[in-house]
Amino acid sequence: MRKVSSASKTADKVFRVATGLCASSPVLFLVAIGIVVFIESVPSIKFMGWHFLTGTQWNLGDMYGNLEVKNGVSAPAGATYGALPYIVGTLASSVIALLIAVPVAIFTAIILAYRVRGPVKTVLSILVELLAGIPSVVFGLWGVIVLAPWVAQFFGPLLTHLGVVIPFFRGPVGTGMGLLSSGLILALMIVPIITATTRDLLEQVPILYREGGIGLGMTNWEVVRKICLPYVKDGLIGAVALGWGRAMGETMAVLMVSGSAINYLPHSIFSPISTMAAVIADQLDSALTDATHLAVHALAELALVLMLLTLITNFLARWLVHRGGQRVRSGVRA
Amino acid sequence: MNQVVKWISVTASAAALISVVGCGTGAGNNATNANNATNTAGGGTSSAQVTLNETGSSLLYPLFNSQWISAYKSVDPNVTINAASTGSGKGISEAVAGTVQIGASDAYMSNALMSANPSMLNIPLAVSAQQVMYNIPGLGADKHLNLSGDVLAQIYMGEIKKWNDPKIAALNPGVQLPNQPITAIRRSDASGDTFLFTQYLSDSNSEWKSKYKYSTQISWPAIGNSLIGATGNAGVVTELANTKYSIGYVGISWLDKATAKGLGYAALKNHDGKFVLPTKENIQAAANAEADKVPSDERISLIDAPGANSYPIVNFEYAIVNSKQSGDMASALKKFLKWAIDPKGGNSAQYMDPVHFLPLPASVEPKSEAQINKIGG
Repeated sequence: MRKVSSASKTADKVFRVATGLCASSPVLFLVAIGIVVFIESVPSIKFMGWHFLTGTQWNLGDMYGNLEVKNGVSAPAGATYGALPYIVGTLASSVIALLIAVPVAIFTAIILAYRVRGPVKTVLSILVELLAGIPSVVFGLWGVIVLAPWVAQFFGPLLTHLGVVIPFFRGPVGTGMGLLSSGLILALMIVPIITATTRDLLEQVPILYREGGIGLGMTNWEVVRKICLPYVKDGLIGAVALGWGRAMGETMAVLMVSGSAINYLPHSIFSPISTMAAVIADQLDSALTDATHLAVHALAELALVLMLLTLITNFLARWLVHRGGQRVRSGVRA
Repeated sequence: MNQVVKWISVTASAAALISVVGCGTGAGNNATNANNATNTAGGGTSSAQVTLNETGSSLLYPLFNSQWISAYKSVDPNVTINAASTGSGKGISEAVAGTVQIGASDAYMSNALMSANPSMLNIPLAVSAQQVMYNIPGLGADKHLNLSGDVLAQIYMGEIKKWNDPKIAALNPGVQLPNQPITAIRRSDASGDTFLFTQYLSDSNSEWKSKYKYSTQISWPAIGNSLIGATGNAGVVTELANTKYSIGYVGISWLDKATAKGLGYAALKNHDGKFVLPTKENIQAAANAEADKVPSDERISLIDAPGANSYPIVNFEYAIVNSKQSGDMASALKKFLKWAIDPKGGNSAQYMDPVHFLPLPASVEPKSEAQINKIGG
């Protein structure tokens, strides 16, 4: 039997403690952030109740006027916090982003995984990953200077032709700052994440399965559609959920092209919107000058709702995977 | 293969990071060297090295960044000043929190906030103004539309929807106004400019006063595509330039940049019913008209000042400072602020003119000085 030196034993203990600490940190941080955000939002929850989720009026109140007390919480006169426009804005812009990004990302990933080799593949992969590394504010700047004017002058007027069929596409197009531009810029930002994850997944499809498909006379499309995509379905939905989470939480770029709507639910794809993350960033400075701090608590509640919404979408995605998982697995094996 | 890709991208990003860090340290070294050089040249003042941090108003930022910081190096080489353009709301909140020594703000602190933080001072450093700008192609660069606070309020509430509305036409006889919908631009961030603009609207329109009031962030009318938020003065100017038939409010220190992009600015209706432009004389007239009313804590609105020539949207640029400062910091802060309001120092025309600011009225300067003397006391 090997004689273990005391130094090795100590090292092993250190290793155990270190890995234990590190491994528990995600849980600890998540719980700590959750608790802090919840405690911060308690006054706002008391002040607004369920109206926070259904109300459309967001008003910090008359900060240069008198204070008033409502539901046991003191606030500047006229303060009311209804987050519905921001919840709708967050969901609408991120869903538009997904509708555009998912097909683009999957097709790109298929090309990267199966169709290109050597330096071309290396360069393309690096470019996709670099796209993920562009700072959000750079996307935002580009959005303000290039994307929004383009939407206002060309893309928007083009889309209004669809307005005959789908009322949500009806004009006026306006400034280009709004739901459509937010969705487009978010799509650009989440394509790299979904692409990179999907590419890695597709590369794990055993070559035998694909060769088998080709051997049976299946076309490329049939191999991808009937063998590869079903094989990676679980992971794919995870990748989409990851992109969705990113799109909902994205702040700066959306803030710059959203038109920062307030008290307003989008009437069309060209309407200005605002997302929960953008409102938190936009209003925090004014909120901090609220002597009662209620405005900060309301923003904390907004953060809480955002966290819960991200969690729900994540679970929804997992549930979808779980529900469809069994059938797909057996299908592949057969 | 995948491994290779990962390695290459990791190396690339690491290289980028290193080059950025490299630049940073390089600049830092240079700054330190320059500092040492001036120290030896100055013959050694006895005060210790102090760094003053300023953040807040994007309207005040050009004065700090392009004028005062470099000028003050020769006044007191031991003091380093860092300035940041983050918005007036942030200026107030960071000064209250103690993160910065000087919070720059176009807005003074509210009563409620003052009673919660009684040691804070609102010290006017200069007089500033705000112009209402628009993008109307074909109007002619030299033509200034006449607009009133009442009409502006109705535009921002969506009650006036087109440029050729009879209410705008009535203020501008003989001007060919386009039959085009108006897009109003507002600030989306916590902004002193919003504070000033909404104060002017509240003073001019009773509906605005009862519904929307004034603040650095208000609950704006819900008029959809007709009212768009943009970040910072830079964002508003860009959005105005991008959007034909738009209107917005912009701080005076941005006037030259905005007119260079082809934007026009309005003559605004003042308290006496005259339409006036934000010229040096008109801003000064407004400040002088209100100078005697300035209380000892100097929290006062200069909006809609009386007098035939008074420009209506005029304000003090405030340094929000906590009077509780210790030792070296207190003396450095006092010295800098006194220099800043000195008509022969920071308030002299060579620093004020490039940003279209005006020095404090003669009767206000002693009040600012009295407040500065409270620091560290």
